[in-house]
Amino acid sequence: MKMKLALGCTLCLACFSGHAEVNFSGFASINAGKVLSGSGVPQFGINDPIFLADYPIVSVYDEDISFEPETLMGLQFSADLTEGLSVTGQIVARGADDFDAKFEWAYLSYEINENWTFQAGKKRLPLFYYSDFYDVGYAYIWMRAPADNYTWQIFNYNGINMLYSGSIGDWSLSGNIYAGKEDDDDNKLLSEFFFQEPTREIWKDILGGVIQTSNDWLEVRLTHMRYTNQRYRSGEPVLWEGSDERDGKFYGLAVNADWGNFFILSELNRLDLDGNLDTKMLTLGYRFDNITPFVSYADFEGEGDDAESHETTSFGVRWDFHSSAAFKIQYDEVEDNSVGLAVAGDSKAITIGIDMVF
Amino acid sequence: MKKLFLLTLLCSAYSCLAVDVIVNPANTSTLDENEIKQIFIGKSKSFSDGSKALPITQADGSTVTDEFNEKVLNKSSSQLKAYWSKLVFTGKGTPPKEAADDAEVLKLVASNPNLIGFVSSGAADSSVKVVKSF
Repeated sequence: MKMKLALGCTLCLACFSGHAEVNFSGFASINAGKVLSGSGVPQFGINDPIFLADYPIVSVYDEDISFEPETLMGLQFSADLTEGLSVTGQIVARGADDFDAKFEWAYLSYEINENWTFQAGKKRLPLFYYSDFYDVGYAYIWMRAPADNYTWQIFNYNGINMLYSGSIGDWSLSGNIYAGKEDDDDNKLLSEFFFQEPTREIWKDILGGVIQTSNDWLEVRLTHMRYTNQRYRSGEPVLWEGSDERDGKFYGLAVNADWGNFFILSELNRLDLDGNLDTKMLTLGYRFDNITPFVSYADFEGEGDDAESHETTSFGVRWDFHSSAAFKIQYDEVEDNSVGLAVAGDSKAITIGIDMVF
Repeated sequence: MKKLFLLTLLCSAYSCLAVDVIVNPANTSTLDENEIKQIFIGKSKSFSDGSKALPITQADGSTVTDEFNEKVLNKSSSQLKAYWSKLVFTGKGTPPKEAADDAEVLKLVASNPNLIGFVSSGAADSSVKVVKSF
């Protein structure tokens, strides 16, 4: 058996080396945290304070120190099949999912020419600025992308993507147009947190575009996406004004300015889905060599009486103590302003972690 | 001893070390600082004559690499790593291939007209062309 396996491996390596150059890379975040104080959501039977650090993955901290909610590891392999064709897979194991490793990305990429690339397969839905590298903590300043903004329940799609990259003078210009569908049998955020019953979430006829331009210090990103939503709770279709589907439209603007040491990150988004859900975020940071303190504010505002409404003020520090690793510490103060559509109540929490890339 | 210390201090403050950007002698394209930067951060993929541009960097943490990153790319090594990790894990780009030292960069650039690299000042020989010094 062992022999066979060994032989299999050798063959495998032999054929890889014969046809493609395979590159492995990865990222990991080892995070821990706890709630310092909070209200819980007594109207929904949650009497102890909780801190929902991350919506889609349902990273919940309570009063005991825990490592599971946001610890994760990702491994990416990319095989270059030459002549512009490559195939990439990314497997992520999360503490929030008992380290059950899953393919988050699996796609082929074909470089048509210097400016255009065609991609097809399973990819991350690029709604917000940080959406597609959401899992790679090393790539951004905070412990996590601001939770009040990143409240999406669907974060992957299966489909096609056309990627453009070019420049006009000193400005680089990139963008993409994508189309696809996602059918999530057992949606984590809706099933485990909001409805507490098995919920199937479908986003179909997804069509979206992103335009991004940047120069030395300024970066602007504009996006629009539309989709049709269907939902089944415990197998029964959810009806919205008598219809089993509804259309959503997403609009986003992100502006980042970086003057070398001082930088500003901002996002402004609207999801029009039976009314407007508005999110915004502003972060200021300053680099003192390898130590970067920051302050951040994020807000979610629904439309109507007692609509979903929550905001978070955060303070933190990122310390690049190693060439491939950063230590972070962050304090978050959440205010949940709605009663009927409360999410996780008010809370004050502290989280620390180390992000790595390899 | 004191003098040596002062010299080290001056060096780190004013960056005594210089970096030469090199291409193959057959490459006749003009290159300014911004074009070099765009090629090394993956935003530009060709030289001014339209031929394909492939950047070669040196080992992470080596003096010449730090020097190049700070002077030309205006980024610290961890900022640059964060920048590339965002592109690599979203399928939008691949960082430049890494050569072990000046000698390997010279060898590679001398044998391929599409390559562009950097070496410590003074390391370049006649097998390559220095297009810019920083």
